[in-house]
Amino acid sequence: MELSDINYDKGDYVETASGNKVCRQTILCGSQNIVLQGKVIVQLDAIIRGDLANVKTGRYCIISKDAVLRPPYKKFSKGVAFFPLTMGDHVYVGEKSLVNAAIVGNYVYIGKNCIIGRRCTLKDCCVIEDNTVLAPETVVPPFTRYGGSPGTCIGDLPECQADLMVDFTRSYYQHFQPTKLI
Amino acid sequence: MAIYETLNSDKLTVVLDIGTVYTKFGFAGEFAPRNIMKSTVRCKRTDRLRRIWDYESPEDLYDLLVEFIHVIYFKYAILSPKDKPIIIVESLLCPTLFRETLAKVLFSHFEISMMLCLPSHLVSLASMAVDTALVVDVGYKEAVVIPICHGLPMLQAWQALPLGAQAIHNKVRQLLGSNNTGIQNLGEDVMEDIKVRCCFVTEKSRALQFASEKPSIQFCPDVKYPIGGTESIIVSGKVREKAFEILYEEDNDHLCLSTMILDAILQVDINLRQLLAENIFLIGGTAMTAGFKARLKEELEGQLENERYGKLHLKKLAFHSPPCKENYAAWLGGAIYGATELLNMRAVTKEIYFKEKRLPDWIHLSETSRNL
Amino acid sequence: MSYITGPDVVKYACTCGLLKPISYLYFCRYCTQLRCSFCVCHEVDSNFCGKCSENIPSSEARSKKNRCGNCYICPSCEQELSPRVASSKASAEGDEKVAARKMYYLFCQFCRWSSRDVGIPDQSSVTGGWPERENVHANSLHELLDLDKAIVLAQKQQQEKDKKKQRGKFISYTDRTGVTAAALRKRIGLPADLTHPLLKSKPKEPEPMVARTEVEKLPDDIFTKPINLMEITTINQRLLQPEAQPTTVDKLFPVHKQLSIKRTLRCRTCEHNVSKPEYNPSSVKFKIQLFAYYHVPEVRIVTVEPLRAGKPCELILKFTNPTQHQTTISFEELNLVECSEIEENKFSELVQNLSIQDKQPLSLSNQSSGSLSLSSRSPSIVVKPRTITKSTNCTVEIPTSSFILLPRDDAAEYDDSGDTHSIQDDPKLVKWRKSNKAFVRLTVTPDEGLPLNTEVNCGFVMQHLYTNTISGQLEKKEPQKYDHKVKVFLTLGVTVGSE
Repeated sequence: MELSDINYDKGDYVETASGNKVCRQTILCGSQNIVLQGKVIVQLDAIIRGDLANVKTGRYCIISKDAVLRPPYKKFSKGVAFFPLTMGDHVYVGEKSLVNAAIVGNYVYIGKNCIIGRRCTLKDCCVIEDNTVLAPETVVPPFTRYGGSPGTCIGDLPECQADLMVDFTRSYYQHFQPTKLI
Repeated sequence: MAIYETLNSDKLTVVLDIGTVYTKFGFAGEFAPRNIMKSTVRCKRTDRLRRIWDYESPEDLYDLLVEFIHVIYFKYAILSPKDKPIIIVESLLCPTLFRETLAKVLFSHFEISMMLCLPSHLVSLASMAVDTALVVDVGYKEAVVIPICHGLPMLQAWQALPLGAQAIHNKVRQLLGSNNTGIQNLGEDVMEDIKVRCCFVTEKSRALQFASEKPSIQFCPDVKYPIGGTESIIVSGKVREKAFEILYEEDNDHLCLSTMILDAILQVDINLRQLLAENIFLIGGTAMTAGFKARLKEELEGQLENERYGKLHLKKLAFHSPPCKENYAAWLGGAIYGATELLNMRAVTKEIYFKEKRLPDWIHLSETSRNL
Repeated sequence: MSYITGPDVVKYACTCGLLKPISYLYFCRYCTQLRCSFCVCHEVDSNFCGKCSENIPSSEARSKKNRCGNCYICPSCEQELSPRVASSKASAEGDEKVAARKMYYLFCQFCRWSSRDVGIPDQSSVTGGWPERENVHANSLHELLDLDKAIVLAQKQQQEKDKKKQRGKFISYTDRTGVTAAALRKRIGLPADLTHPLLKSKPKEPEPMVARTEVEKLPDDIFTKPINLMEITTINQRLLQPEAQPTTVDKLFPVHKQLSIKRTLRCRTCEHNVSKPEYNPSSVKFKIQLFAYYHVPEVRIVTVEPLRAGKPCELILKFTNPTQHQTTISFEELNLVECSEIEENKFSELVQNLSIQDKQPLSLSNQSSGSLSLSSRSPSIVVKPRTITKSTNCTVEIPTSSFILLPRDDAAEYDDSGDTHSIQDDPKLVKWRKSNKAFVRLTVTPDEGLPLNTEVNCGFVMQHLYTNTISGQLEKKEPQKYDHKVKVFLTLGVTVGSE
């Protein structure tokens, strides 16, 4: 199915020179630590916790409504330290998902209501199905589909997954248009 | 890399024992299977798990087996099946349709070089270095008794009854239903888990007490079994002790697990009877339950006092305990045989298969039964 | 999006007759045919551990039983275990030097199982040294194995000797009927437990197991003692360790993580690779990638008018040309009955050809065993393509005119200026186009008398001009062009009631 247009109110979103579309009603803590590489969409009520550590996304990332990007922490004997969260290109994060991962690779699809545990590593080309709970420090290898709670490998992905994700995020960006006033 | 592989690969022979519920997979010459996995395949259309043995048609079975063997080779064995031999441990009573379809899948889809079928009852003796025993395989669907005499399966004496894990699971469900609600909605895997973790085979004296009008003893303590995150059901002592009773409840023809064993002994030559009775070998996952062997012995002794089996004049009953777990005893036998030259001598090769277009049946292969 | 999560509404018929979405199909350039995972040959390319992302050579994988030496999974919940540094309290008991050395234990972050639960001592290195359990019966089983090997070998030698003797026309009765020496001995009343007659040099004979009359009884307290379910393992936990199959949780040992593979796919007809991944485990690139997604125009459903039985409605499809060459697309009616007949004829021809070819190598392999490896390189066995089982319940009005799809141009993605193409399109057919994409209007009519809420399926044959570049590069010729036909099946949705 071809995507249909997703319209937003022009006043609600800020579009930067590099093509990022960020909703005004989002919580971006520590914005000096947040890097959005370009053509990134951050939707309503999303939370990015740049105050804990650096958050960096690649190009063509989509952060859906109510999603939370939160850098992971690790406990040491002397206290707690936060680690940066890096996200590759062409990543989709579904609604109400909480991402605590250390690294999210390129061409990753995270469904709705997922919890990605602390310091997980999602390699390139993987899919996390809706409602998955990934245990902390899980490594998701390329071309796998994870699902369930605790998240386990439930299938493979086609070899052209990278191109599917490129196509998907690009067309999402193209269809994400302000409502035209008639 | 490729050269290295060919030099090394002749050592790796996959040994498979495809059971109704669990499939045992490993390599020849090893003493334990690498994996014991469910014989299920995720259906592409409905996204549900389907058992291989629940096939609807030959074509359906072909597709299920292709998927299943594919997973075995590429997820567990990590091996290209092409031009490699394979050993299949199967029951002598395996349906022809299943055997033929499996051979078709292996030869024409996976292009294996040769396939060796071994009868499970016979090869399970290989791990014990004996050649005469009464092999009782209590699996999921049925219990099958076949006496093996001097390395020859006495096929005319075989006995089979639908007394296996399936019957027990149904019994557990039925017993649980009497004091819990919503049991019908629980899957069979839950029944299996309850059976494995809570139930055991009780002693005969207690079973007789419970069967009488007013038992003077109490059932063993109840167990609270959690279902999902929040709910739980009560697995009463009655369920725990009575689930396995179904194996010894005589049916309309007065047959049960103990009688079928004795019937099998009755069918063989008079000189071999005592020897078989002293070499009873239990295999199959159900035989691993706590108290199974003790109860079976009690039951057999009880039956021998009956007129029906009095003429057997058996003085002694003795049981083997294999150097492995019962649920993979047959697989282990296959793995031991598979490590010998037997593979090259007896296996059906690709050339033969495509000439004959079918597998030889057991009557042709009976020579393989020769051991010590 | 539908390729990633949603149901597959557009399916292509593979050459073997299965219907798959385009992302799961391959396109063999040498046969110019569609292939799918069912009709290609899979081979293991490399092994790697999914957790540490390290390549493991196949010999090492073999010796480690296809498991990673360093990564473990939890025996309780099968999630990955992570090594933890032991807290300083434990080392405080010892002197300064011990305290300086770090000790590790394994910990499951999901179910909080830890290697300390089962009494495994902490280890000084992160990766290795975790104790392994040994099979208690290994020794006796080894002896058995050696003996069996020797017997069968002797039997084989005997057989070969017998063959040389050539005992005339009469074949031994025992050989044919399966009445073996053991059975004969029994019949003539000899003691059965003779040592094997064929064994000259006897290997160490293992003791045959002796059956015992006394059997293990149920523990007495089983009838009175309440059990704690938390201490008893589930069947899955037991089967995770097939050798030991522990029944109580205090015997659970960490399990090595199973390795994963990368695989190459090979066309069964021409033996060319259709997919070959890069060696690096975390790389998602391919050395050879003949995916249908890169070669065959992609069809997507854009919009469908509400479907009413017997009423024509408009269907808009989007066609995308993934190749670097311009292509022309035309439509043909889908006729499943005729198709299967043609396929059948083709197949019987193919089999005939093959059987003629096969005769020679077969006779060769009879003569020398060495040619076996050669014959395995020859094209694999042809499996008869199955007939397509999917039925359609909707007719498509096949447009008579064809349309052109421009080549893919990556630069155009960044070009936001208006369309500058100069293609004369049939305005009835092509609704709109942009770079390598075209939106096409078709008219479909669901069959008369379809009940409400029935899934509507339709299909057509898409013919596209495929430009093959392989022969062009090799022989410096113009790239060859083929008309390639694909059967496309669409699931349009369900029928709705009248307005």
